[in-house]
Amino acid sequence: MNPFALAILLISMFIGTMVTLTSSHWLLAWLGLEISTLAIIPLMITDHHPRATEATTKYFLTQATAATLILFSALINAWNTGMWELKELSPLSSNMLSLALMMKMGLAPLHFWLPEVLQGLSLTTGLILSTWQKIAPIALMYMIFSSLNIQVLMIMGLLSIIVGGWIGLNQVHLRKVIAASSIAHLGWMMIILPFSPHIMMLTFLIYILMTTAMFLSFKIFNATQIKMLTIAWTKMPVLVALMMFILLSLGGLPPTTGFLPKWFILQELTLQHIPSIATVMAISSLLSLFFYLRLTYALTLTYSPNTVNSTIMWRFKFNNMFYLPLMVVMVLATFLLPLTPSLISF
Amino acid sequence: MFYLSFLGFFGFIIGMVGVASNPSPYFAAYGLVMGAMAGCWLLVTFGLTFLSLVLLLIYLGGMLVVFAYSAAMAADQYPMAWDDWSVFIYVMIYWILLLIGWSYVEELDVISLFENLSYVRCDWGGVMMLYYLGGFMLLLLGWVLLVTLFVVLEITRYISFGNILKL
Repeated sequence: MNPFALAILLISMFIGTMVTLTSSHWLLAWLGLEISTLAIIPLMITDHHPRATEATTKYFLTQATAATLILFSALINAWNTGMWELKELSPLSSNMLSLALMMKMGLAPLHFWLPEVLQGLSLTTGLILSTWQKIAPIALMYMIFSSLNIQVLMIMGLLSIIVGGWIGLNQVHLRKVIAASSIAHLGWMMIILPFSPHIMMLTFLIYILMTTAMFLSFKIFNATQIKMLTIAWTKMPVLVALMMFILLSLGGLPPTTGFLPKWFILQELTLQHIPSIATVMAISSLLSLFFYLRLTYALTLTYSPNTVNSTIMWRFKFNNMFYLPLMVVMVLATFLLPLTPSLISF
Repeated sequence: MFYLSFLGFFGFIIGMVGVASNPSPYFAAYGLVMGAMAGCWLLVTFGLTFLSLVLLLIYLGGMLVVFAYSAAMAADQYPMAWDDWSVFIYVMIYWILLLIGWSYVEELDVISLFENLSYVRCDWGGVMMLYYLGGFMLLLLGWVLLVTLFVVLEITRYISFGNILKL
């Protein structure tokens, strides 16, 4: 893409999210969301093939609908209470607004756009979509957490965890697997939000680290399907070994970082005397764990039948710009558990 | 006065149903015109005359004209009007939903509430605020319009070449 256009679009994406994060007026928050939606559209459609175009169209339509709903509920709130402040929400506008923000993020039952949109994008653009574009809606949910309806959040969160696990079970394409994992992680975040927004922010940060590690690893392997993961050991055996830890971290297994948010969420829910929800959440994440383990199996634990199963690929490209970020993010996404006290000091 | 507001709302609904029932864009533009004219009428009945003029000028005189030229250039051989069966079904569904919603409305006195700004009128006051305290938003809006231009140009840049440009 033309470097000047690319620079303007990246700057606009940054400006959009920053405007939403620093806003105290609903119009400005809406404006920031629309700017970031608008700026990522050309990045998504860059290679112009039909799947990318379709993904871009679907993304634009759903985000525009959700943004209109945000504007509408902000107007209703202004009409009912006279306040345009971010925190002053009446129950009707709070419900509509939380539904709209959750549609922007891709939570069940409004998740249908996410797998197909993510499938149509290149891995780098998918990374931006999964991490940066979620910052603004999460920040808005964080800011309005005290006026959110607990039942709505619980239902959508629980549904997201279950649906995210089930969607990922039948997937062969890695980007759809990542979409399912994103839906499930956001479900965990939404359930803990009315009780402890701090834990939600911790979960979101760790989710960003793990998703970045996964996307960058897939980019280095150039793998978009499970069958392309089976020959990944020939490209970079070190990354194959480390990728196992990333996948186990995504599944939430104890020595890794991914266990940290699940631990605190389950503990907080138990302290709030709703252990039944915590049990259902923990059991439903077994579905997600299964497809992470399937990826680990295909990637690390077995050698799939191949023509010449002996050597590494003869050509090794080292001038990839993703190696350094991947190193940093991978360490953070796997080995952060011993640093827990410094992460949660509040 | 109530009849004037009612006429405005009626025209607005007819125009929006005409657009939302998915006819071909040439006929949907007619629905947009009708909806926008009715919307401007409503703004006038509320006393916001400047806003009504701005809406007419920019929306109908700017956006819709550009849309009409673009739609004329990307012409359809057999455009679907409102007599097409699929479009007609949409219209019927919207009317049924509207009638159901109308039966739930109890009082309509909220329509005739007027704002009580004694010194500054709403619409001019808004314009003043946009240039005074809302200066940052004005800059942001200008930037967004420029970015929209770049976005549209980037999206429509290589359409005729297909997918052979990743070389």
